[in-house]
Amino acid sequence: MTGGVFNPHILGFFCHWCCYAAADAAGVSRYQYPPNVRVIRVMCTGRIDLRFILEAFGCGADGVFTGG
Amino acid sequence: MVEAGRSPNIEILTSARLEALEGKPGRFTASVHQEPRFIDDDKCTACGTCTMYCPMPIVDLFNERLNITRVPHIDYAQAVPTSYYIDPRACLRINYETCNLCAQTCTAQAIDFSQKPRELSLDIGAVILAPGFGRTDLSVLAKYGYGRFLNVVTSMEFERLTCASGPTEGRLVRLSDRKPLKKIAFLQCVGSRDETCGNGYCSSVCCMYAIKEASVAKEHDPDLEIALFFMDVRTQGKGFDAARERAEEKYGLRVIRARIPRVDQVDGRLALTWTTDDGKSCSELFDMVVLSEGLNAPKDAEAIAEIAGIELNHYGFCRTLVDSPLAASRKGVYVAGAFQGPKDIPESVTQASGVAAMASELLSEVRNTQTVSLSYPEEDKAIESEGPRIGVFVCHCGSNIAGVVDVDAVRDYAGTLPDVVFSRDTLYSCSQDALKGIATKIKGNRLNRVVIAACSPRTHEPLFQETLRSIGLNAALIEMVNIRDQCSWVHSQEPEAATEKAKDLVRMAVAKARLLEPLEKTTVDVSPTALVIGGGAAGMTAALCIAEQGFECVLVERSDQLGGNLRRLVWTMDGQEASKVLDDLIKRVDGHPMVRVMLEAQVKDVSGYVGNFTSSIVKGGQPVAVDHGVIVIATGGRENRPKSYKYGRNKRVLTQLELEESLAKGKGFLKNIKNIVMIQCVGSRGEDMSHCSRLCCAQAIKNALKLKGIKPNIRIYCLYRDMRTYGFSEDLFKEARKKGVIFIRYEPDRRPEVIERDGRIKVRVFDRLLEDEIDIFACLVVLSVGIAPGDNDALARVLKTPLTPEGFFLEAHVKLRPVELASEGIYLCGLAHGPKPLDESIAQAKAAAAKAAIPLAKGQAEVASTVSRVDKAACIGCGVCESLCPFNAIRLFRVNKRRKAETITASCKGCGICASHCPTLAISMGGFTDEAIMAQIHAFAGEKCV
Amino acid sequence: MGECHYQSGNYEAMIIAEICRQVLKDVGVNPERMVLEWASAAEAPRFVELITRYVSAVKAIGPLGSAEGEDKEAIIRMHLKAGVKAASARKVRTALGKLAKDIKKSGDYNPQIISDGVTKKVFPAFREERLAQEIQICLAETGPCKSADISEKTGGDIKEIGKILETLSRKELVKKQGSNWYGIGN
Repeated sequence: MTGGVFNPHILGFFCHWCCYAAADAAGVSRYQYPPNVRVIRVMCTGRIDLRFILEAFGCGADGVFTGG
Repeated sequence: MVEAGRSPNIEILTSARLEALEGKPGRFTASVHQEPRFIDDDKCTACGTCTMYCPMPIVDLFNERLNITRVPHIDYAQAVPTSYYIDPRACLRINYETCNLCAQTCTAQAIDFSQKPRELSLDIGAVILAPGFGRTDLSVLAKYGYGRFLNVVTSMEFERLTCASGPTEGRLVRLSDRKPLKKIAFLQCVGSRDETCGNGYCSSVCCMYAIKEASVAKEHDPDLEIALFFMDVRTQGKGFDAARERAEEKYGLRVIRARIPRVDQVDGRLALTWTTDDGKSCSELFDMVVLSEGLNAPKDAEAIAEIAGIELNHYGFCRTLVDSPLAASRKGVYVAGAFQGPKDIPESVTQASGVAAMASELLSEVRNTQTVSLSYPEEDKAIESEGPRIGVFVCHCGSNIAGVVDVDAVRDYAGTLPDVVFSRDTLYSCSQDALKGIATKIKGNRLNRVVIAACSPRTHEPLFQETLRSIGLNAALIEMVNIRDQCSWVHSQEPEAATEKAKDLVRMAVAKARLLEPLEKTTVDVSPTALVIGGGAAGMTAALCIAEQGFECVLVERSDQLGGNLRRLVWTMDGQEASKVLDDLIKRVDGHPMVRVMLEAQVKDVSGYVGNFTSSIVKGGQPVAVDHGVIVIATGGRENRPKSYKYGRNKRVLTQLELEESLAKGKGFLKNIKNIVMIQCVGSRGEDMSHCSRLCCAQAIKNALKLKGIKPNIRIYCLYRDMRTYGFSEDLFKEARKKGVIFIRYEPDRRPEVIERDGRIKVRVFDRLLEDEIDIFACLVVLSVGIAPGDNDALARVLKTPLTPEGFFLEAHVKLRPVELASEGIYLCGLAHGPKPLDESIAQAKAAAAKAAIPLAKGQAEVASTVSRVDKAACIGCGVCESLCPFNAIRLFRVNKRRKAETITASCKGCGICASHCPTLAISMGGFTDEAIMAQIHAFAGEKCV
Repeated sequence: MGECHYQSGNYEAMIIAEICRQVLKDVGVNPERMVLEWASAAEAPRFVELITRYVSAVKAIGPLGSAEGEDKEAIIRMHLKAGVKAASARKVRTALGKLAKDIKKSGDYNPQIISDGVTKKVFPAFREERLAQEIQICLAETGPCKSADISEKTGGDIKEIGKILETLSRKELVKKQGSNWYGIGN
């Protein structure tokens, strides 16, 4: 929290072929969106292990966005 | 571009021109004259010192004369070769033997005034002409006040003004007083569709680029007011209409349908006066007027034509035919890009691949006799196995990143992270000199893990991997951080937050990099056969082209005969009989020893991967297994069947193709027919399908002219939204108007109606000029129904490949990879990709064939190294991985009576489902190990994590 | 959906997401903090919409821990720490693998079927394992405890905890002396 505004700390798991590509395309089109998400690229959402998500919350993530 | 510059089989001769071309196809001798650069591009490090010291200012031609540069300069940072050059016209050393400052200050000693022009004689097999387009004549621009009024600029100039690395660093200002712009007008069709300047054709690209430039301008300054003046809005490219509609809505762009004849200056502002199509007269003042200049034939087109021995069309572009759109009139000489006719980037890139196939067909016998292959030094295992020594390179990407993210801060922060022994910022990491620099730094600092914070690994990772390989490091020892596409570009309003995000992402990447391990790169043999799915014009062309390049081809067609939609076409746009084109294709396909045609056959299942596909093709109820190395999708599309306008209920309501078929049966069909009403965009652009079908406007005009030719006094009304007769078909549009075809524009919210009364049909349409509805009695109503996608779902599922929202196959990249799918080894052409006329389908089929032939010609395909690996000791043989693997890439086998799993490396696509589901955590994913991902998560959390 | 480059990876992810949501709910974390969304390579606008909406949703929920209730942060951390261990346990992973295998065989990835399957076949094993882990963490950190104290700390009901303690003592991971339980080993 800074200055009373809650700025969530969010971890993203993006599929290389889908969501990651869509995010790149959003960049090319210069769409703007909130800067709160930190992305871990995986080749497929199927790679995401239950441990990863729980670990992220255990480490204090306010949210986990998995995108395929 | 960088890739072309890096290929050992491409020699680039800059400042060169063709002087003569002797000989015959396969054995040409080309005489080439090359002007010196006066700077040795092998020695030049592109440091820019020469530009700094040169005392002679010259106008910067690359920046459209809006800027000043110096005699030694480089056009832009990513130019290939990435080397400066000297413009001899103003150079004091060259003209007066004085100065020589640049040569004295160049530490690389790259400047060489002893260079002389060279006359080269090249033995070559084929010639490809790609000289691009010429610029609109100043006299044409002058009609709009250009040259008299400073704030009248061309679209090319405006493009430079919006560019962050351009003359105003992206600030949008009036050129007269450098004050911020408030109101801009774009005038379309400057030097296009204009008889008075001799350019009757449509330049095809200006409508879309104007929308793009207007959008970029609004991104810079949301308060800008922008009006665009169109005659017709011609955004017929794949996905263009959707992009335009989004832009119009998002940015509030005003679209006005009027042609502005002149520009006046009033009190320092620019006055435009126009009449709307409902007859109102308007005038307004603007701060800047952008002239959307068209694409001309290249300035030296005539000289090129004479030297190369080819014909030009009446506009000075290279003349080609609908059925051979890439062949110039001299055998062995091919043409691609705007010289063949004005066109956008996707079509140009497609044609470029297509001509490569043409040349490859011609030269297939001598393939690989003169090629050089890249070899990499042996991997330095000693350095790789040392503890991590990480180098971080943070890219400015000009101002793309550095304009938002504090690159220096990110670089300094990276230097504080564990195991980082080196951190540096680079202006353009991907430029050739920067890559060289990165390689030197890696070696000099004994780095064994590299983090590049720049753009997307999807586009640039291969480039940096190549750099690692070139200095003996494993390609897997690099991790990219996407601080452009997913940071600076999307958080441009929040520079501080973007910088924080970039730091976090770098920290996460460094955490992963510490755990990166070398991965083995393997290759698999390619089965030298192509499977082409679909036997229409595109499929047959692709199959023939692959076969002519020397590879076997299986052509699968669902129906009982070859031909597809071409079978229904009667005349081509250039007046050829379509049946002749069809018969010729079929004859060549049937007679080709390398093509095996399977009719009434369907692909039911495909397994395997590039180089080693196995398909199950069902023919006559029986599945046949076919092994092949690549796949070309040419499944076509179909004529849309509308539910509206009484189609199917009244036999006097036809589609354009049905009209064509009826006309082909004889003139008797037109007996008693006096009035014909054509309705455009019946299925397309909204009603049944959201896309523009691209070819219906030209098809309607072609048929209208045919009708007028047979029966000159027939009355034809054409109801349209935008006539999209782009390119040279604009000539036909003009001819149709001259011959009395009446064109009435309608708005999508007031579509025409077909009304039946007392056995007669009338079409009711709102006439904007009369501001009233009018009824036109019609003996025939002809609908331009558009192109619907074929039944692509089943094949898309089998191939695991996505479709566009409209139902066409989605290419890997609209501009850069227009005929490839994201999955390796699968290519795309024809209507399966999207609606397009015959010549474009044929060019695209050639392009797909060119791409498909690459793995076939190489004989080997590299297997991705990110594959899973099973730890046999930990494996309990439960079989979960085997049953969950979507690619059958894991098999179970017995070791001492115990079941164990094993990855079939060549089939593995690296998804990692096996790893995330293994009960004993026995499977590790190359490049994405549990440890690495966990390290990223911990680094994400930073100090929050305990 | 169904557009996955890897054909079925997204389906497996649906199952993982479901168990994840059930676990989060169980340990007192708002399950809406975790989402699984789809945006294909061609859907940049959709991606932007999803991410924008999601960030506002998380903003509305509030910071992890403090938003779930006062003084909850430490206890949630403990639950999650044990949760990661449980997610690594062979028994839990086997149950998850088997469910994924069965659903794949049936070909029906209806969310209700996934949810029911997870509730019945994976979640109980997960909870038991998590509580077992928490008991051990608890005993290691605070020393000998009564089962009622353990129950209070871990949030497991007393009967359930009793059963798990019995199992753990059979495996000689804990032992009972008087009314107190001791951790063995660490």
